Amino acid sequence: MNSPLEIVCPAGTPAALKVGIDAGADSIYLGFRDETNARNFPGLNFSRSELSEAVRFTHDRGRKVLVAINTYATAGNMIAWFRAVDDAAACGVDAIIVADIGVLEYAVKHQPQLRRHLSVQASASTAQAIKFYQQEFGISRVVLPRVLTVGEITELNQEINIETEVFIFGGLCPMAEGRCSLSSYITGISPNKEGVCSPASHVRYSEEGGQLISRLGGYIINAFKAGEAAGYPTLCKGRFVTGGKASYLFEDPTSLNALDLIPALMEAGVCAIKIEGRQRGKAYLSKLIPEIRSMVDAAAKGDMMPSSGLEMIAEGQRQTAGVYKKSWK
Amino acid sequence: MTFSKQFSPPFSPVLLLGLALRPLPPALLNPLLGRALVIMRNRHPEIFERLAELDDPVFLIDPIDLPFAFLLRPGPKHPSLRTISDPSKVKPVATIRSSFLQLIGLLEGKCDGDALAFSRDLVIEGDTEAVLILRNAIDASDINLMDDIFGSLGLFAKPLQASVGIMGRIFNRLDDDLEVFRNAAFRPIQQKTAAQGDEFKSLQGRVHDLEKTAKTRSGREIIS
Repeated sequence: MNSPLEIVCPAGTPAALKVGIDAGADSIYLGFRDETNARNFPGLNFSRSELSEAVRFTHDRGRKVLVAINTYATAGNMIAWFRAVDDAAACGVDAIIVADIGVLEYAVKHQPQLRRHLSVQASASTAQAIKFYQQEFGISRVVLPRVLTVGEITELNQEINIETEVFIFGGLCPMAEGRCSLSSYITGISPNKEGVCSPASHVRYSEEGGQLISRLGGYIINAFKAGEAAGYPTLCKGRFVTGGKASYLFEDPTSLNALDLIPALMEAGVCAIKIEGRQRGKAYLSKLIPEIRSMVDAAAKGDMMPSSGLEMIAEGQRQTAGVYKKSWK
Repeated sequence: MTFSKQFSPPFSPVLLLGLALRPLPPALLNPLLGRALVIMRNRHPEIFERLAELDDPVFLIDPIDLPFAFLLRPGPKHPSLRTISDPSKVKPVATIRSSFLQLIGLLEGKCDGDALAFSRDLVIEGDTEAVLILRNAIDASDINLMDDIFGSLGLFAKPLQASVGIMGRIFNRLDDDLEVFRNAAFRPIQQKTAAQGDEFKSLQGRVHDLEKTAKTRSGREIIS
């Protein structure tokens, strides 16, 4: 029997956190209600008092709270990020998830007892990069960017001696994480600094001529025919006309679903699997987490995993195993 | 009272109820809706706190299977919830359209709003950010409409709850019967349409292949 993978569940609100814990998550990741985390969406996230209560609730049930402080701090104004580190430590969280080396250094100096995970936003995909973060900032875990095959993850785990966490389900970012400025190009706001990709304030949907038109910052990003599954208007998943033909140039509106790779990821030495979706609601978690719990438990016992019926909750109602099962060069 | 013409409502007991209610003025529901909003404000003040960052927004909530819509103004100054027969007369910050039961499911956190939007069963128009704030505020609460409403009725709660339970069972039975009717009436047409769709796809593929072959040939001719 293998030791089960840790299920790292998103929570955008205290109510979602409770749903995630009750549904069987091992740890919850969340963020403060400001630009210090990469899901700085309106009406979402935790106040300091909500975090304290969340930590108490989660620890009472023997689970963990991880706080994402994973945007890049603004030059000359790093106070919000430093305060987030101090407040997370004061609330008694189990780890912080960080990308910015300035924020990491602050955490090492001022909260050395606080466990540090390297965020996917740092885009550390090589043994050399990961070892650098480990030596300089004492990170205990790296969240791997979604650019590696299962074979590459296996090799990587043989070269490093810290925990690895991988995304298993949810929204799929096809760009180099922490490096993408496509959202900023249209809206002036990016996930790297402001914590929002394609902010809702710049998004409009309208029914025009029997089609659903999605716009970002006034630009048409997609036009969905009647009955066609829709997606959120991010530039990387837009449909553009080139050579007289409309097509997806970068990526289709599709979601990651690598759940059938759970046994392979266990074999590869991964210790935790992460679900994307702090912006999704309680209904998403209550459907998803029990299914993943039963799959992980079955895989740990060496049993056949139950199949999932989760395509209806995926963006564009289409799924891919992404680079984990890379079939291109 | 009119139904949204742009959207096809699901064939459900709610649609039949809406048709039956059509002769009545929807304003009759307004005192009940006003009371429901007061109950919500008392039992879930955190929702309205999270909405405080919006400047007195007005949302048009349009159940496509009912012949009227709801106008929700959740701001702290003049909170109100009322019916509206002609949505074209108002300028809401955003419009939220879905079937009545899915809207209730969203309110109670039982339906996944993103999944409904991806499948086009939920349509948002107007200020997407305002809708997101409303969705997140509601999702952060544990709303159970029946518990919330009956919890405020004191002595009347038990008999009313029993009556609603009976009505719920009748509703479910009717829904099952309609499902049988839907299958009997529409399945042959659906099967025929699906077969035609497959044939169309196969023809599309053949045309694509022929175009490719023609392009390759004309390219070769130019080179030679």
